[in-house]
Amino acid sequence: MIARLLSSRGPIVAILLLAVALALPFLSDSTYLRHLMILVFIYGIVAASWDVTLGYTGIFNFAHTAFFGLGVYATGLLAKLGGLDPWASMLLGSVLVAGIAALVAWPVVRLQGIYVVLVTFAFSQLALQFVISQSDLTGGTQGLVRIPTIQLPGYNFLRDYKLGYYYVGLALLGLSVLGLQILVRSDFGLSLRALRDNEDYARARGIPVARQRLKALVASAFVAGLAGGFYAVYLRVASPEVFSFATTSLILSMVLVGGVGTLWGPVLAAVVLTLGSEALANVRGLDEGRHMLVAVAMILALRFLPGGLISALLPRRGAPDRAARPTVQGPTTP
Amino acid sequence: MTDALEVDGLSGGYDDYDVVSNIGLTVGASERVGLFGPNGHGKTTILNAISATLARRRGTVRFFGQPVDRARPQAIVAAGLIHVPQANTVFPDMEIQETLELAAWTPRARAARAENLDRVLALFPRLAERRRQLARTLSGGERQMLSIGVGLMCAPRMLMLDEPTLGLSPKLKDELAQAIATISAGGIPILVVEQDVAFVLSLVDRMYFVNHGAITREIGRRDAVDHDEIMAMYFGAGATA
Amino acid sequence: MTLDALATVLVSGLVMGSVYALMASGLSLVWSTLGIFNFAHGALMTLGAYLAWTLAGSGVLGLPPWIAMLVAVALVAAVGVLLERLLIRPFYGHRAMLLVTVMTTLAATVFLSKGIQLVWGPRLKELPALAPGNVSILGTSISAQEALIVGVAPIVLGALWAFLRFSSTGRGIRAVGQNPQAAQLIGIDVPRLFAIAFALAAALAALTGILIGSVRLVTPSLGDEPLIKALIIVIFGGLGSMAGTIWAAYLIGLAEALLVFTIGIYWAPSTLFLLLILVLVLRPQGLMGKVVR
Repeated sequence: MIARLLSSRGPIVAILLLAVALALPFLSDSTYLRHLMILVFIYGIVAASWDVTLGYTGIFNFAHTAFFGLGVYATGLLAKLGGLDPWASMLLGSVLVAGIAALVAWPVVRLQGIYVVLVTFAFSQLALQFVISQSDLTGGTQGLVRIPTIQLPGYNFLRDYKLGYYYVGLALLGLSVLGLQILVRSDFGLSLRALRDNEDYARARGIPVARQRLKALVASAFVAGLAGGFYAVYLRVASPEVFSFATTSLILSMVLVGGVGTLWGPVLAAVVLTLGSEALANVRGLDEGRHMLVAVAMILALRFLPGGLISALLPRRGAPDRAARPTVQGPTTP
Repeated sequence: MTDALEVDGLSGGYDDYDVVSNIGLTVGASERVGLFGPNGHGKTTILNAISATLARRRGTVRFFGQPVDRARPQAIVAAGLIHVPQANTVFPDMEIQETLELAAWTPRARAARAENLDRVLALFPRLAERRRQLARTLSGGERQMLSIGVGLMCAPRMLMLDEPTLGLSPKLKDELAQAIATISAGGIPILVVEQDVAFVLSLVDRMYFVNHGAITREIGRRDAVDHDEIMAMYFGAGATA
Repeated sequence: MTLDALATVLVSGLVMGSVYALMASGLSLVWSTLGIFNFAHGALMTLGAYLAWTLAGSGVLGLPPWIAMLVAVALVAAVGVLLERLLIRPFYGHRAMLLVTVMTTLAATVFLSKGIQLVWGPRLKELPALAPGNVSILGTSISAQEALIVGVAPIVLGALWAFLRFSSTGRGIRAVGQNPQAAQLIGIDVPRLFAIAFALAAALAALTGILIGSVRLVTPSLGDEPLIKALIIVIFGGLGSMAGTIWAAYLIGLAEALLVFTIGIYWAPSTLFLLLILVLVLRPQGLMGKVVR
């Protein structure tokens, strides 16, 4: 019942937020604020898509930031060295990332528990080493610079104080979250949650475990890759920093602080944490310190806010997976 | 003389509900007492509440006069109140002798380690034969022997045994019953949980009937309890309690 | 491959394998006792190396290298106790403890490595060698420091084995790993032994970090790359068995040396990883290991 109440209120909240986001550039023409909001959009997409594997599917996936990072590099390389149109590079880059994700998923979906963590982690660190070692292509530790910007005929996206990038980013966020929302609410999404909550039962009901998990990983990696592509054409640099523990923990803290398995929670937390973290970056001497603060925030969220921000904002809603449970356990009569 | 164990108003359970409530029982200084009743009605939970392995518990527990209801599990073991849990797998990748030596963990137990080890190996010659084997390789009966042996290595001043003969053959049951009688004859009071009424009758001086998380009846040995009455307790009268 | 080259590969594989074995044994100890994977292991290595640098001659306090090493190891063990208390103990019995502690130790990694950058800055530090000079093994000349690593690793691992096998604290650590409930019922203070095991693993991490730092330079990312190798090793060896992990460490060390020799330093890690994926597809429980817990 609470879930129904929420779902009827959900669209209203979403429309309100969307309205605020749409109006924001008219309320302020600060380039810096717009820049921060564009980062919010990007991190929001990455965090929400991570939630699909980590929260809804229950895969202990720690390669998600690497998929994002590979999206940055794939788009950057295709656009800069491949000479491809940046829009097409973004799309092709994310398809490539999805392909790589399928390769990684092949063993991962058959593994259990800690081994999933280890393999996905090892993969993300090797992706980092690979990028650094192929310095002829990627610029090594210096990173890839001067990536071409996206363009429309007769319009340069750098004009109007990043206005174009702002709306493209917002559109990407909206479409991604909408797409992910449709995904997790579909029969496919339902089968993912069934798998997460009771693997043996789901298997007995004929859900192909490995294939469903693989699809979920590929879909969420595609979205992360898209965010990476936009990051590349917006910031015009690709730096190995995107693969670091610090980036992973920043985005992970968004998922945790926002609330695992809620999709909107991580997006909300992306707003709070990106603005907070970037504000701190301007304080002298806090550039390293802010990562330490994010780490502390993450631990505190795990310790004291197990349902995430969203559960604090919307009281009386149980743990997210508990809300999803009855749909799965319904027909268990002997 | 002080009783070995005095329990009064003990309640306990998991998360936010009590499995057992308002339990009161005593075990005399050299007494053998049984807890019996249908499965899933809280016998094991009573032992867990006494040994403090249950997070949620209230009430008073005195061990030889000393209150232990606020003590941590290791303090209760150190005092000599030893709980031998049901179907204990002990430490699967440890050798028998190593396990027994390890079990003499508290300072009091360590002081008596050598003599207790001799006692256990004399009581259970099968363990002596298998002292270099890993615990995971033992049969069900041998594992029960090891589990009781571990309890004895803790230098008990009282033992609480949870279904020591669960799933064993009649022959092995007899063997274990004798061992338990021997332990008790050495002056160690025993509180034993059992479902097998005949078995528990042969073993104890007195017993408590546990039903729906409460003690609903106390039966002395001299009270003639016949089969029908026990059946009534299990299936009839118990439901109204 | 000439005999000379083979000797070079063997010796360098042995050096790397020794470092990996020391590191992986700490990870395996924590896994088989507490049932968690400590991602902060690499950061603890780095911390150990920096503390030793600060304490030793080239740093601030000017202690003799051996003393500095021992003090640094003890300090990192204390940090280990603190980490266990703050990041792991609150989550015992949590229904997703494994995942949660992966995240908290990951946060600890970020906290420690950024803290290290804040305190010691990005400049490289040089640790004084514990054993100066060069020695020749199998006709290959290596630094005495590298020879020391090859020699120290089996001694430390042997001592660890004997501690776990024969000392009563060591036996207690194994007991709480195998059955914490039963351990509690014989009077073992389970959380205390968890803390001891975690501190011991942190001490092993610090020792490994100092040994690496004395053959390379000390950088804020000193522990990162070995951590990835250790991940691969524990996947190959199976986390539950310390012996399997140590064998895998030497095996991966040798395999890596061979790959570096044949296809170069840039491709070796990726090739190793591809091999790993193949192995996992064929044998999901690891090459030698079994899935425990």
